[in-house]
Amino acid sequence: MEKFQKSFPSAPLAWPSGKTWSLAGVVGSANLEVLMEPGAAADSAEFDVQTSFPGYQDSWLAALSDFSTHYALGGTKVTIHDQGAAPVVITMRLRQALDQLIHP
Amino acid sequence: MSRVPYHELKARERIAAICDRGSFNEILPPPERVMSVFLPELGIPVSFDDGLIIGRASLNGSPVYLAAQVGQFVGGSVGEVHSAKLVGLIESAARDKIPFVMLIESGGVRLHEGSSGEIGIAESMRAVFACRTLGVATIAVIGSDIGAYGGMGIFSACCGSRVMTEHGRLGVSGPIVIEKWMGKQAFDSSDRALIWKTSGGKTRYLLGDADVLVDDSTDAVRAGIISLLGQPAPVTLGSVSADQQRLEARLVQFGKTTNPDDIWTASGVTDIAAASLASGGEFANSYPKKSSAQ
Repeated sequence: MEKFQKSFPSAPLAWPSGKTWSLAGVVGSANLEVLMEPGAAADSAEFDVQTSFPGYQDSWLAALSDFSTHYALGGTKVTIHDQGAAPVVITMRLRQALDQLIHP
Repeated sequence: MSRVPYHELKARERIAAICDRGSFNEILPPPERVMSVFLPELGIPVSFDDGLIIGRASLNGSPVYLAAQVGQFVGGSVGEVHSAKLVGLIESAARDKIPFVMLIESGGVRLHEGSSGEIGIAESMRAVFACRTLGVATIAVIGSDIGAYGGMGIFSACCGSRVMTEHGRLGVSGPIVIEKWMGKQAFDSSDRALIWKTSGGKTRYLLGDADVLVDDSTDAVRAGIISLLGQPAPVTLGSVSADQQRLEARLVQFGKTTNPDDIWTASGVTDIAAASLASGGEFANSYPKKSSAQ
């Protein structure tokens, strides 16, 4: 098990009123769950990751950094429970969680 | 009717598809972070809902307490938090006299958490019997590929009634476990047709273990649940005696059977090949319903 936290600059996200969380994915083989909640600084996205596959922190940080650049996620805390998802799955789950917030 | 396959959906999608639109109100939602303390010790990631989503909802305008297991998370297994949520929900159903419905997808106890899951399933069963004694409907829905095995198989049989699809499986020991103990000649766990014909929804329906057999679609499952909401199946001396007699008769009739086709033939299925390909709903229409398990 490996755990790490990291914040990346990201354009502010206007959280829809009444929404306090958004969840995508499940903790299963080659999959992960993503929980988005408000509460970070307006111009940054905070990530808290735990993964059962240690040793891939560089790939993780690259995927999370890319996502924070390409999408407005500022002000959001993102907690991830991972069981060996590939980077493309990480990006897809983040998009699904964000999509549920923006298009409920 | 929509043809969204029930068995392909994940637990949260099933809840959204089966409840009245927007009626599900989750208890202990993910931000509450009530999670297993055992799994991190073993290097296994935790899940925000510990593999069980619980809440209040309405079905066709009637209130229900609803639980759904997440089969992808440690096999839908029942750990300490998972079972505590389940027991609390069933006890709420008994307290408020509101039907309890559970979308089951589990191989049973989470062995990683030792006896806490075992105790939790026992407490869940006691809570189900409390509901039934009070005349509160308890409905198990079994329509996933994992099905209901181990402690959750027994739990399902304790519920007042069961909705199954042709994809659902109900048993105690799973196919791989049986093969490990009895040998491949006795039970070949790679033979999917044999497994489904032994423990699948159609055979369970013919034997009277499944009260309702429906198509593998969310609309059909929803309709099946709604048809049972008004049938609490109270536990009485008469109902228990009738059940005992039914099971004794089954043992006499099929106890020595080695081919599940014999059960189908004895139940009036003449064209086994056609019946194997039928959907749950088509199968139920073709063959008369046997008496309920409980």
